[in-house]
Amino acid sequence: MKMNAIEVKKVSKVYGAVKALDEVSLEVKQGEVFGLIGPDGAGKTTMYRILCTLLLPDSGTASVDGYDVVGQMKQIRRRVGYMPGKFSLYQDLTVEENLRFFATLFGTTVEAGYDSIKAIYSQIERFKDRKAGALSGGMKQKLALSCALVHQPSVLLLDEPTTGVDPVSRKEFWDMLSGLKERGITIVASTPYLDEVKRCERVAFLDNGQVRGTGTPEEILDRFADVFNPPSIDHDQGGKVQEENVIEVEHLVKAFGRFHAVDDISFGVKRGEIFGFLGANGAGKTTAMHMLTGLNQPTSGTGRVAGYDISREHEQIKQHIGYMSQRFSLYEDLTVKENIRLFGGIYGMSDAEIARKTDELLTRLEFAEHKDDLVASLPLGWKQKLAFSVSIFHEPDIVFLDEPTGGVDPATRRQFWELIYEAADRGITVFVTTHYMDEAEYCDRISIMVDGKIKAMGTPDELKQKYNQPDMDHVFTHLARQATRSSD
Amino acid sequence: MTLKYLIQKEFIQIRRNAFLPRLIVAFPIVIMCVLPWVMNMEVKNVKVSIVDNDRSTLSQQLVHSIEASNYFIYSGQQPTYRAALQEMERSHADVVLVIPQNYGRDVELGRQPQVLIAANAVNGTKGSIGSSYLTQIVTAQARPEVAAMQSQVSTLFLYNKHLNFKLFMIPALFAIVMMLMTGFLPALNIVGEKEAGTIEQINVTPVNKWSFILAKLIPYWIIAVFVITVCLVLAWVVYGITSAGPLWLIYVLALSLALFWSSFGLMISNYSDTMQQAIFVMWFFVVLMLLLSGLFTPSRSMPTWAYGTTYVNPMSYFIDAVRTVFVRGGGLSSVWHQLAALLGIGSVMAAWAVMSYKKNS
Amino acid sequence: MKQFISMVIKEGKHIVRDKRTMLILFGMPLVLMLLFGFAITNDVRNVRTVVVTSSMDHMTQRAVNRLAESEYFTIVATVATPREAELAIRGQKADLAIVFGPDFASKHTGVQFIVDGADPNMAQLWTSYATAVITNADSGVVNAKMLYNPQLKSAYNFVPAIMGMLLMLVCAMMTSISIVREKEKGTMEVLLVSPVKPLMIIIAKAIPYLLLAFVILIIILLMAHYVLGVPLAGSLFWILFISTIYILLALSLGLLISNVAQTQLVALLMSAMVLLMPIVMLSGMLFPVESMPTVLQWISAVVPPRYYIEAMRKLMIMGVGVEQVLRELGILSLMLVVLMGLALAKFNQRLE
Repeated sequence: MKMNAIEVKKVSKVYGAVKALDEVSLEVKQGEVFGLIGPDGAGKTTMYRILCTLLLPDSGTASVDGYDVVGQMKQIRRRVGYMPGKFSLYQDLTVEENLRFFATLFGTTVEAGYDSIKAIYSQIERFKDRKAGALSGGMKQKLALSCALVHQPSVLLLDEPTTGVDPVSRKEFWDMLSGLKERGITIVASTPYLDEVKRCERVAFLDNGQVRGTGTPEEILDRFADVFNPPSIDHDQGGKVQEENVIEVEHLVKAFGRFHAVDDISFGVKRGEIFGFLGANGAGKTTAMHMLTGLNQPTSGTGRVAGYDISREHEQIKQHIGYMSQRFSLYEDLTVKENIRLFGGIYGMSDAEIARKTDELLTRLEFAEHKDDLVASLPLGWKQKLAFSVSIFHEPDIVFLDEPTGGVDPATRRQFWELIYEAADRGITVFVTTHYMDEAEYCDRISIMVDGKIKAMGTPDELKQKYNQPDMDHVFTHLARQATRSSD
Repeated sequence: MTLKYLIQKEFIQIRRNAFLPRLIVAFPIVIMCVLPWVMNMEVKNVKVSIVDNDRSTLSQQLVHSIEASNYFIYSGQQPTYRAALQEMERSHADVVLVIPQNYGRDVELGRQPQVLIAANAVNGTKGSIGSSYLTQIVTAQARPEVAAMQSQVSTLFLYNKHLNFKLFMIPALFAIVMMLMTGFLPALNIVGEKEAGTIEQINVTPVNKWSFILAKLIPYWIIAVFVITVCLVLAWVVYGITSAGPLWLIYVLALSLALFWSSFGLMISNYSDTMQQAIFVMWFFVVLMLLLSGLFTPSRSMPTWAYGTTYVNPMSYFIDAVRTVFVRGGGLSSVWHQLAALLGIGSVMAAWAVMSYKKNS
Repeated sequence: MKQFISMVIKEGKHIVRDKRTMLILFGMPLVLMLLFGFAITNDVRNVRTVVVTSSMDHMTQRAVNRLAESEYFTIVATVATPREAELAIRGQKADLAIVFGPDFASKHTGVQFIVDGADPNMAQLWTSYATAVITNADSGVVNAKMLYNPQLKSAYNFVPAIMGMLLMLVCAMMTSISIVREKEKGTMEVLLVSPVKPLMIIIAKAIPYLLLAFVILIIILLMAHYVLGVPLAGSLFWILFISTIYILLALSLGLLISNVAQTQLVALLMSAMVLLMPIVMLSGMLFPVESMPTVLQWISAVVPPRYYIEAMRKLMIMGVGVEQVLRELGILSLMLVVLMGLALAKFNQRLE
């Protein structure tokens, strides 16, 4: 019988009035791939930090590889590999310098650890002389993964390692983890993706600081189906979509130096449509979106959004669109109500109108009692819903959503999509990027970008038929694997 | 119209910040209560060591008159000049007075004795002022007729009859407080939004550049009014010093300075990627402008090239003008050109702040 | 050891790649040295003077000529009545008026000064210079000697002060910010969990700043000597030795700040409030400590740069032997031991 790699007994941790962990007990076996899942704010990060001796538990005991997390800090730190949720690279060091630094830090070299990171690092290796700060979000995540995996610890703690990473790379990442497992490394990982949960041997469902259940992925997903497996939403396109194109783009190019981030794309989006804009990390999605929303000037090509030219009339465009960026961007130090009021005011709505619509919105979101809470204090899923509601508060023609649901559980994502459908029913065109392929199925039409070009476009059914694949996940993987470059 | 909402947001953010409201209140109070005592460049408590090679009645008298002077601290006699110099090296003496042999006899016979005064001039001001006071005391005894001639000269000090150093420094402190409050805080503002990511959300809204920047400037102007009021009240309550000139003019000057500093701060913020950069760049310019403003040392003593910079240095205009109004009781007619220059530089800077803010790149 | 070196190199890269901060770090000493060396002076020069006389006789004319020839005074006008002179001062056209009475020629008396007294120090200096020039009074009794700084250059006084300020700033402020930045960005978590000893992490972070401080120190010393002509009278060894103690002390302070501060902004503000203000105001850098009220003198007794600046003034300018600065050296060493002990004791090996 194998020894337990991690044992946690009745651990509690309190921050002020908040109970982050409430008598949590866990056991992870040697060489196991263990999933720690649960909504944002469930206490996962606190658990990780206690395990790698960064925090002291208020009560209870925990041990890693047989060493106590309170008394035997040194031994644990020599054995554990940890990738924090907001793993941050040194922005001013190059890709290679970052990797080399972390390799040396853990007493190994890039060459020695190369095999274990090859699958992911090879994708970004050609950019090894670029500064980490100049990489796209997903690229950074891949580099962070490479840095965390370059040494081979006996226990690996991964706090949401794949948030914001495209499906293809996620698969490669989990293949890498399986490789590590074969070498006897114990892995504890958390993830919001169901396909990843299913690749764990056992999972613990953490909610509100308590373990609600432990077992095989199937057992847990089944037992808490209301959270993890909500019924899919029926959406009826029902004639709302009009023939008129509200976004029209022709031969759009954005070049940074010699690098063409967006390389000659042309497409149209019809009024009232939900348009999914998919692509691997670094395929050029965000850059394209920045041009459409008037944040960036195109290098060449033309585009019209809501009837206005994107290079000359970007300020008029802004009057007619809503935008929710990848980085959550409401003012954290303002309350819910104050944020709504601010953005309503910016779009020129009157006080009375703002007040009326605020009440309406808060009731609909069932937020009324939290209207005076600081946005910083809300759980991530709520923030996202709020950000979306704010972005369509002024009834724009089009709303642009850049990975709006990163890092939240399936039930919350489902609620989010209900909001999207409501907006679409009111005639708002939705332009959305996502890495969740189940969400791709919810779209009326999708395009898939590879290497700065649009490789495929059509309804989900059309694409599945065309490429002869069972679901969008496979379609995406099929197309994205043809990529020859991977950065913007 | 949107301006209203944007200004409201800035105020809420300042209020919510755990640190800023306290800083805005405490900072002027600390500066006004402590600095006037510190920024005292009066030379006093000069330590004198004496080598008396004469030991006559007259030389004894000279020693006594130095001991009695409340300007000097008498730190004892030394047998030799060498020993006295060692005292100086140990920081026990700032000035050494050597009374020559036959000093008493020479003075009585009307001959000129040669008294040596050696001052530690590492701090030039202290050395020269100390030695010149000591010279006066010696001259009074050794050459009464020369001393008599000098004492015939009468002096009328205008505006600051009691030569109160605080009266001179306090208006200059207004400039320091304004600079730190309305310069550094805006410098952190936009770059802070950049780091938080909220700037992107603002950039996709139709909000006008001018209203966005104006909404960020106006709160600092209101803070400026608050801060200058605190300063004026403290000057009156703590030091009993009030403005000799019209108060409204001080407010107008302060607001013009706030216009410059807040715009300058935002401009720096627009060009910076991190708060650290913003602070460092800001700090660099602040030190430069402060040192060349004539706050500590008279700008007319500077060499021509350095004096030239005062024509573009708003701090220099403000300090000049506020001293004229506060100390000398000047009115608009005496400071209108400084005011015009301040407003001019401020407006250029405000326009620059707006231009450097890019919604679309 | 390899890990340690690679950490030092990494930290060095951070410094070198931030061009703007580098520019300021090296530009600041240069600019400060030049300003204090050439621009900032208390010299009496170009004092705008109005001569008031009803009858320009021979004696008066000679006195006025003497004034005009001196480098101190610039005669801007000659008027008939004191009233006119006062108006000129009120209108900011003049700083000083000299009223020659009718019997100036006969008795050498009856001179009155009307002075803009707004700046008391300068007002006094102007009158005493003017008195000396007009009465042509060299009593001949006193032979005044300005030791160590015969030309009364302010640079002599300020160079040690600039050293005290910049070294503190570079070491304490930069180190604390760079540590807190890693906390804020989350990289500190990974560093802590790595097998490298936490103490090593901190030392590795401090070393590049230590080097930077030495580079700046050497720039200042070279500039002081070759550009400003400030003597390096004392032993270079002891100057560097005491500077090293001071630099280490500043690093310990930076480490202490980084323990307390959670965000870069707080670290910046704390460095500025806790370090910069007291250094500039209370260390005797600009304003002599002995002129302050007693309470402030007590406070200044715990400001480390006060002793450093004092020691440097003695060693560099006065050229005394080390035995004369033992008191300063002792106090600085004691402060170093206390602060470093405190910083190491307080250093968090965990996140809280």
